[in-house]
Amino acid sequence: MVAMVLAATLALSLYLPLMSGQLSLATPGFYAIGGYVAAILSTKVIHVTGPYPIPLILGEMILAGAGCGVLAVLIGVPALRLRGVYLALATIAFVEIVRVLSLTVEFTGGAIGIFNIPQPFVTANGIEYLLIALPMLICAALFVYRLERIGVGRALVAIREDELAADAVGINPTRYKVLSFAMGAMLAGAVGALSAHFLNTWNARQGTFDASIAVLAFVLIGGSRSFVGPIVGAMVLTALPEGLRAVAGIGELPVWLATLLRDGRVIIYGLLIVICTLNFPQGLIAPRQPVRKAVKSS
Amino acid sequence: MLEIKNLTVNYGGVVALNQANLEVRAGEIVTLIGANGAGKSTLLRAVSRIVTARGGQLTYDGHDLNRLRPDEVVHMGVAHVPEGRRVLARQTVQDNLALGAYVRSDTRAIAADMQRQFEVFPRLAERRNQLAGLLSGGEQQMLAIARALMSRPKLLLLDEPSLGLAPLIVKDIFRIIGELHRQGVTILLVEQNARLALETADRGYVLEAGEIVLSGPASDLIEDARVQQAYLG
Repeated sequence: MVAMVLAATLALSLYLPLMSGQLSLATPGFYAIGGYVAAILSTKVIHVTGPYPIPLILGEMILAGAGCGVLAVLIGVPALRLRGVYLALATIAFVEIVRVLSLTVEFTGGAIGIFNIPQPFVTANGIEYLLIALPMLICAALFVYRLERIGVGRALVAIREDELAADAVGINPTRYKVLSFAMGAMLAGAVGALSAHFLNTWNARQGTFDASIAVLAFVLIGGSRSFVGPIVGAMVLTALPEGLRAVAGIGELPVWLATLLRDGRVIIYGLLIVICTLNFPQGLIAPRQPVRKAVKSS
Repeated sequence: MLEIKNLTVNYGGVVALNQANLEVRAGEIVTLIGANGAGKSTLLRAVSRIVTARGGQLTYDGHDLNRLRPDEVVHMGVAHVPEGRRVLARQTVQDNLALGAYVRSDTRAIAADMQRQFEVFPRLAERRNQLAGLLSGGEQQMLAIARALMSRPKLLLLDEPSLGLAPLIVKDIFRIIGELHRQGVTILLVEQNARLALETADRGYVLEAGEIVLSGPASDLIEDARVQQAYLG
């Protein structure tokens, strides 16, 4: 459950730059950085005995978000001059840089990572993390929902649809592209900070190219034209492996099918992406179509 | 109001505009005519700063446009109706108009202006909730002009409003351009349809291969032998 909610929030962080038409795969990079911020702060800087206080976690999330936001502006100003697939490549490079750095630098714990990140809750499965994760997702979703309805959102959509037209009505595309990129980064950083506590351990495997593709798949399968799409896509795809494993455990299934369901997750994942792309090119959640009034013939 | 001096624009190694001079005075319609690829659109784009000039002065109301970004130019009251209309196809007519008022924040006046556009362009009022991409070419052109007017421009840059439209629709568009002019909007009109443009405008310039070769009152240009032979057939 917690993983689903966190994945959905991450998907929103990729959706934000996409609102202005910028395909950025940098989300896992900022997610990883956010996680390291929380992991380092809570294990090496702050020492508390007993359950870790929740306000401190919130503080770490805000700090991680702010740090990622500043970093995103610094990266975004030059990187967002690139378009389409070139921006995607540049952001993949960013994710790789973060990964390699965290493997080599001392204070991130190298390949081993950081262990024993303190826990605020006592239960083993960490379901209480929903208390933080769910409000975060709801806030993020409400924020995006509002954003789509005010001038800024309108500017972002205009840039996505036609940058020259946006220029012509007085929108500064660079500013808004960087803004949407930075908002996505802040969200990813905050999610990372929370995830570090939830997972108890943090290492370089958290932010990889695979993760970039996974988050992209959330958005593509869910639908990239409405903020509900990424949320639904992330939840479905995160729950899917568990669901498949459960089905495989029922027994009475032929051995090959059970094995496929249990171990062939990646194959099923791939199949699902192909099927969805063919049948739901706009994603499972398609945008609402404006009402078309019947046109009277004059 | 707008003064262009020795404007030169290159695309890579190709010279699109060479030392062009042009002036638009407040309240005028000035037209710039010429063949395909003569550099007409380039001149408008240089004014709205979508392309960067290689040399020359662009002065608008005493401000040096060359130092501004495209969005700042719009803030100064220059609205560009780009070639090919460039309406946001997946947005409704109403949303496109709202976007035109992006540089303004006076909500109530914006609503009133939108109402006014619907009066000037009744076809748009009928289709206000339709996606702009579903409109006919003429309606899209009207929408592009209305969208530009939503920023309350002092100077309107019109790039080929007749492009790809049926003659009857073109006539309608030019009637509206004339009406805007009477309401006091200054217009710089780029056109391939030289006859219609010269009939509508106060003064005209003829652009050939990036250079201004002729200029003068529109009524004189329309009688000019060279113009007649080259553009009016």
